[in-house]
Formats: sequence, structure tokens, C-alpha cells
Amino acid sequence: MSEKDKRTSRRDFLKKGAFLGTAAFLTGFGLQNLGINAENIDPDKRALLMDHSLCVECQACRLACQNENDFPYTIQSIKFKNRETGTYPEVDYHLSRWSCFHCSLAPCVEVCPVDAIYKSEQGMNTTAIEECVGCHQCVGACPYEVPQMQDEKMYKCNGCVHLLEQGKLPACVSTCPSYALDFGSQQEMAEKGAVRVEELKEKGEEAYLYGLEAQEGLGLLMVLRTSPDEFQLV
Amino acid sequence: MSLTRRNFLKTAGLTAGALGLGLQGLDFTSWAQEQQQAEVVKKPSLCNVCASHCGMWVYVKNDRIWKVTGHEENDRSQGRLCPRAHGGIDWVYDPYRLKRPLKRREDGDYAPVDWDQALDEIADKLREILEEEGPEKVFYAHNPRRTGVFYGNRLMHALNVSTICTHNAACNTARGRGFSATMGGVPSTDIANSRYLIFLGRNYGGGIRTSQLKALQAALRGETRIVCVDPRQNETAALADKWIPIQPGTDLALVLAMSQVIIKEGLYDEEFIEEYSVGFTDYAENLEDYTPEWAEELTDVPAETITTMARDLAAAAPASMVYPTWKGAFGCNYENSTETARAVACINALLGNINQQGGFFFYHGPETGSLDPEKHPAPSTPDTPRADGAGEKDEFPLATGHGLPHVLAERIREGRVKAGIVRHHNPVRNFPDYDHMKEGFGSLDLLVVCETQMSETAMVADYVLPECSFAEREEVIEARGGRRGTLAMRTRVIPKMYPHTRSYDEIVVELAERLGVGEYFNFSLDEANQAILEPYDISLEEFKEVGSMRVDLPQPEGVPEFNTPSGKFEFYSEEFERHGAPPVVGWIPPDTGLEFGKNEFRLVHGKEAFHSHTATANTPQLLQITKDYQTNRLWINADRAEELGLDDGDEVRISSEIYSDTTRVKLTQRIHPETVYYPSGYGNKTPHYRVAHKIDSLSPNDFVKYQKESIVGHAMVNEVIVTLEKA
Repeated sequence: MSEKDKRTSRRDFLKKGAFLGTAAFLTGFGLQNLGINAENIDPDKRALLMDHSLCVECQACRLACQNENDFPYTIQSIKFKNRETGTYPEVDYHLSRWSCFHCSLAPCVEVCPVDAIYKSEQGMNTTAIEECVGCHQCVGACPYEVPQMQDEKMYKCNGCVHLLEQGKLPACVSTCPSYALDFGSQQEMAEKGAVRVEELKEKGEEAYLYGLEAQEGLGLLMVLRTSPDEFQLV
Repeated sequence: MSLTRRNFLKTAGLTAGALGLGLQGLDFTSWAQEQQQAEVVKKPSLCNVCASHCGMWVYVKNDRIWKVTGHEENDRSQGRLCPRAHGGIDWVYDPYRLKRPLKRREDGDYAPVDWDQALDEIADKLREILEEEGPEKVFYAHNPRRTGVFYGNRLMHALNVSTICTHNAACNTARGRGFSATMGGVPSTDIANSRYLIFLGRNYGGGIRTSQLKALQAALRGETRIVCVDPRQNETAALADKWIPIQPGTDLALVLAMSQVIIKEGLYDEEFIEEYSVGFTDYAENLEDYTPEWAEELTDVPAETITTMARDLAAAAPASMVYPTWKGAFGCNYENSTETARAVACINALLGNINQQGGFFFYHGPETGSLDPEKHPAPSTPDTPRADGAGEKDEFPLATGHGLPHVLAERIREGRVKAGIVRHHNPVRNFPDYDHMKEGFGSLDLLVVCETQMSETAMVADYVLPECSFAEREEVIEARGGRRGTLAMRTRVIPKMYPHTRSYDEIVVELAERLGVGEYFNFSLDEANQAILEPYDISLEEFKEVGSMRVDLPQPEGVPEFNTPSGKFEFYSEEFERHGAPPVVGWIPPDTGLEFGKNEFRLVHGKEAFHSHTATANTPQLLQITKDYQTNRLWINADRAEELGLDDGDEVRISSEIYSDTTRVKLTQRIHPETVYYPSGYGNKTPHYRVAHKIDSLSPNDFVKYQKESIVGHAMVNEVIVTLEKA
């Protein structure tokens, strides 16, 4: 089968999958069929999926996160990096969510001297803020510069583990008015992300799924409309 | 139990409480545990930060709001909330909220007075003006939502006052008139099922209505091709299939030329034109000269692109549309905005997309009951002339019933208007020409402002009456139509925070009694709401528990009878003709013309997703976003900036014929070279908005002079040219 034929068959296969319904599609086929590197997929790990082909950068996620978790409003527990490329009028604007990526290999958990950061059952890197001694070691260790310090306490996304335990979605997901956020098992999110990347490519758009390779797999996967390198994503 | 910070902070007044108890030697831990164990109560309400009134659940612990989530059974929220709903909690806890009635003293300062004194004095003065000068010298202005309409309009009708104004003349008056003149009203849209969609300046991602974003994501995921026409690449355009920059104020030319192509190439819906419209021949003949080549000269959009867009629209019809906007490019922006709206209505008629999947829909509304007219007679409709000339012969006969507050300001200064009541509405800040509006509204013999915060309009009032916040009051049930209908109400989710605040219905009833028209208010709010619910199998008590409820409605089928004089779609308007306006749509240039000198730019504005009008720059949580992303900057095309010697973040002086200020610039390729853009949520002048003043900002309204569009009299908020120089 030529490279082109392979693409065609994958596309047909995807369409058929969508037609049959996502559930049937996902159980019937594996990640390899979607061209996903499944090496780091952890069956017990849960993940967020952020689709930047839908996000209008409204910041509802940030506000819902701050309120849900009682973070100070100056803490950017979710922020966005942007890139403008091209020249008028052929110009593109791209976004990347920047919050805790919930690395499987999490240096912050390793370095915290008081075990204030720990892995939850769902694979989220969670902080017990009252235990934090403000030593800044996590700030130095994080490959994404995520932890934010204020008044000698560290704040970051904790995956709303307290809501997950009640069977609810993280606050950012349940408020997102653009339906750009999803949450589920890392495998399911990887599959949904890969399907979306294919859909966008079919429309002739650039698209990437980020988060299956860095730090042995992340708990925040992203559909990006420009290369992860553009955002210096490791 | 472990005392996590999260639980810890959710207790009310913890710091003060803990200190107090500590001094008494009580055990802090057991006190804190008790506070933590207080139940979290979830109560329904409606958001108040914009006029969409999304349904939401408010989580309350120890009588303090912790968070809000989207109500699932509400058409607007559908389970989600935009950032403003979350940030709106700050409004409730703003330490500078109005807490007592205020009266302006001789020296201009305000003194607190008690309610009886304030209401007695207001009623005496208002009665004097009504009796001596007449009801035509009095007005009521508000953001028209259910409670303000039900109580406020009823009081005005009882007093025979016709002049009831809203903010619309600085929002969507032209859009409203253009669509009512042609198709009898503004339709709903089915963009999720559309195959080809053109937005003219409408930015779902900035001016958010949550349910519309849901439709946008369905369109983005689906088969819809989305084209955004806007001088700025707005947040929706950044996601769309195509961004088409346009010279501001020329959208009319683009629409006329696309219409011309569709007619010339015979691509229109002949059956719709034949069966359901009048005046097509006159309209079509008038379009002949509006070629794509002609439009290219005006719009900067290539003729080839215009032709392609026209053909693509027609090919996808009836599942295609030129979106009917809100404020967007033609809500109230230019001299040609009413005609732009009419042209947009007409091109959609050519597509035959009315009540068609992927097109426009005229939905039904839910049935509601009303008070028994025998027991609770309603006042008759006023028969006095309007003070702002809206709808009056020889004045603004084609203006809508939403009125013209900027014209009122002129007439107040001339002594032709004497008294007004303004509620939850800030015309002094939110219409162009601050001095004109401030001096106008400040010259009334009596201005009463009902508010929760000391807005710019409250700053010039004679009496400021403090309302309790949206979280502390019940309101009249709202009924909204759609594919499915919604009944929704605001319930009291926390007790009144300040004892000397009152809800609007209480204020109106008290005033009515003092003005001798109390007979029209011989019912309670509960009785009014019970009457509304009468057709439904739910008690008011049960309804207050759910807050929002979906209602099944009949689906629109086939082309409806249009709410126009002919009952058909009107390409030709006899009403326009009768009042000296063009009977069929044609080109009108923007008032400022399209010639630019060196360093001259058009100033346009738009909403950011995280601010609402100029009311939220004063909320710490939302303003922090402005600070973090430095959005309080003037967008300028990077190449033009280079010509002016400007780097990103530089200070620039921006001047119009009436105003000059400085601001920092944001250099970008995402804007038309002859356009600069500034977000519209800033520039508060009231010193009481202490948070808002923590950033440097300006309001685009300051640069625009007082002016009136020729057909409906709107405020032409984008008719301004500014010059820039490095500061």
C-alpha cells in the first residue's frame, strides 16, 4: 500500500468510525490505527484534552478554576500563550493552554521536600497547599514553568481531583462555553484528539496532537493548530 | 478531619471571625470545623453581567457565594457559563456598592438620606413636573429585561409617560429596524447546520452568548464554511475558514455587490421571491451598478473574492446565510447601518433561507399567563408624544420604540425634558461624547438613578437609589422562545447584605403609591409570577427550586407570514418611502467619507469575552485578565506603526476632533492598515470604580461626537476618524 493509499484508508476508516458512533469505534480499534504512539499511555491515568481549533480564549476556564479552588485571582492557574504568524491579510493566530501538564514523569513530585505535591489515583499531580513550605524547588524543576508562588505558597492546576472523586468533571471542562475541553481516560482523550487532528488535516489545516511523548506522557493533551515547537513545548 | 486550605477559605468572614473568637480564648480549630461543616446550598439564579441572563446555579455556604455553574435546563447557558458569570460574583462583594439612598447636595456632593425622605421628595418633584409640564417632559431609561419592563413600563404607563428608552441606539437599533422593515423582525439562526456562513463584524468569541458559542463549535466541527468579514481578525475570525478584512463602514457595498452577483447570475430562490416577497423588481434594478469591481474600490475586498462569496452563498442555499449580527458591523455604527441591515435581510431573502435548516428561523415563544385584569387592571398605553422624537412625525418617524437617549441629552440641555428615571443602565458612559451626555443628563430638574454601583450616570443624579444585588432579590419570570422554550427566574440566593438596599419592584411600588397610581400595583411579585406560571403544572414554590425550565414548543414550518405591512418579505418599503427614506436599498457612504490624510485612521471597537460594557472593569478578577494580557492597548497594523516610529507597547497620542488621550499600542498584522481598534469595556470616569482606575485605559466613546444617523437616529458609534502620533 502506498503512503497515499494508507492515508485514504485511514480517512475512510475514520469516517466510518464517526458514523458508527465514537464508543463502538474506540472499543473496536486501537491507538496504532490512529497513528498514535501508545507507548506512554497509562490505562489508569486520566487526562484533559484541550482543542485549540475551538477555543476563543475567553478565559472562562481560568475564572472557574480560581473560584472552584479558592485560588487568589492573581494566580494564572490556566494561561494562554499565543503566536501570530504571517503578514496582513494572510495572518494566523494560534493559542496554547499553559497549565499543569500532569506529567507522568513529574519532577515537581520528585523534588518537593515535604511531599506537598503528590500523584492522585487518577494520575494528576496534586498539591496540598497547606503542606507547602514555599521552597520554590518545584518552580525550578518544572519543565513548563507552571508552579506559581504567592505568599510563599505554590498554586497550580490540581486536576480538580476533589470533583473527580465525586464523579464530576474539572471546573474548567464543565464551564467551557466553546466545548473546547474534554476529560476522560488518557487513552480516550488521545483517541479523540487524534480523530480531531485528522478531521482538521482533511480540511487542509495544520494540526498536531501534543502530549503523548513529553515527560512519559501528559495529563493535559492538546490539539494545536501550529507546531508545538512554536510554543517551545518540550 | 484535615483542614485543607480549600475548605478553610470557603468559610464566611473567616479572618475576622477567627480573630474575634481567638480573643475570647475559644478553640479555633473546633470553630473552623463547625464553619466548614456548614452545608453548601445550591440555588438557581440568572446571571446579571450581560443582558443574556444565562441560567446558573449559585453555590452558597455560610450565606456567602462560593461559585457559580451553568444551569442545564436553560436555553442560554445549557450547562455552561462564560467568564463574566464567574467574575460577576465580585459585583456582589464590591466594598463600594451603594448602601443607602443618596441625595445630591447644593455643593454637588452626596448625602445619605433615608428611604422615606428620598421617595417623598422624588414623588413630590415628579408630580410637580408631571402636572405643570406634562408627561412628555419625563422619561424612563433602562436595560430592557423582564422586571424593568414589567414594573418600570407599568409605572410609566400609569403616569401617561411615553418616553421609555433603552441602550439600543448605541447597540442594535439599525439592525432591528433594517430587519423589521424587510422581514418583520430579527430571526434566530441555525449556524450549526449551515453550510456557508458569513459574519459581518459579529464576533461570537468576544460578545459571548453562551448558547451561540455552542452552535459555533458545532459549526467549526461540522461542515460549515465560516467567513468572517471584519477590519480586525477577531477571535471568531482566528478560528474561521477565512478572514476577510474590510474598510470599516463599507459592509453595505460588499453586501450589495454580492446580491448583484446572485441576481445577475440567476442564483436566487425564484419560488421564494415569487410567492413570498414584494418589490423585487425595483430592488434588482437598483442593484445593477453595484458590481464587485465597484465594491472593491470601496471595501478593499478583491472583486474576485466578492464574486466567489456570492456564488458560495448561493450554492449552499438555503443552508447558508449572511449573519444578522447584533451590534457587529451595523448595529448602530455608521450613517449607512440601517441600510446595511436591510441589504443583509434582502440577500438572505435571495437565498430563501427562512425557516430552513442551516438558515434563519422565526421560532415560537412559550405561553405565559398574566394577572387577572378584573382584579389588577393594567394602565392604558400612554398617548403623549415622546420626548426623544422616536416614532414622531417630522422627527425620527422610523426610529424604534427603544428610543434615542443621546437625543434626550440634547433636549434636556434645551430645557425640553425635565425629569427621568434610569435603572441598571449607564447612558452617560456608554453613548458617544461624554460631555454631551453628562451635561445633558446632569441638567435635569430631577434625575433618579436606581443602581448597585456608583456609575457615571449615577454621578450626575439628584437621587441615587441603592438596589440590592441580583443575588439578593427575586424577579419576574422570563419567558424565551426558540427551538425549545425556557421559563427562568432569579431567586434570592443570599440574604440582603445591606439593610438599606431595596429591589426594583419594591422601589417602583413605593413610588407608585406616592404618585397616586398605587392601584396599578395591588399585587405582590409572587402573585405576578404565579399568574405567569398559570398554564404550567408547577407551583411557584417548586419553580423557585428549579429556577429554569425547558418548554416544548411547536416547530416553525414553511415560510411564515411576515410581520410587515404586506405580510410578505419587503424588498420595497412603502413605510420608508412615506418618511423620506429610500424605498429600496442602495449605497450610502459612511458619514466621515473614505478619504484619509497622513496619520489618520478609523477607530473601531469591540467586546472582550471577559468584560461587559463598562461595568466589569471594576471587578478585580476580570480586570486581572486585562492586566495579565495587557489588553488595554490600541491595536495598530504593525507596518503602519513602523511608519509612525512605534514599537509594541509604545505610548501614542490618539486624537479626534473632540478628544485626545494617550494609550499604549499593540502591534499586529491582524488589522486593516487604516483601522485602529480598542476594546470597549474601559474608560470609566466615575472615581467610585476604584479597581477600574488601577489601569490606564480609554473609552472609544470619548472620541466620537454627538451625532444622529439619518433614518433611525442611532448614535453612529463608529463614525470617527482619529490621528495618531508617538507620545
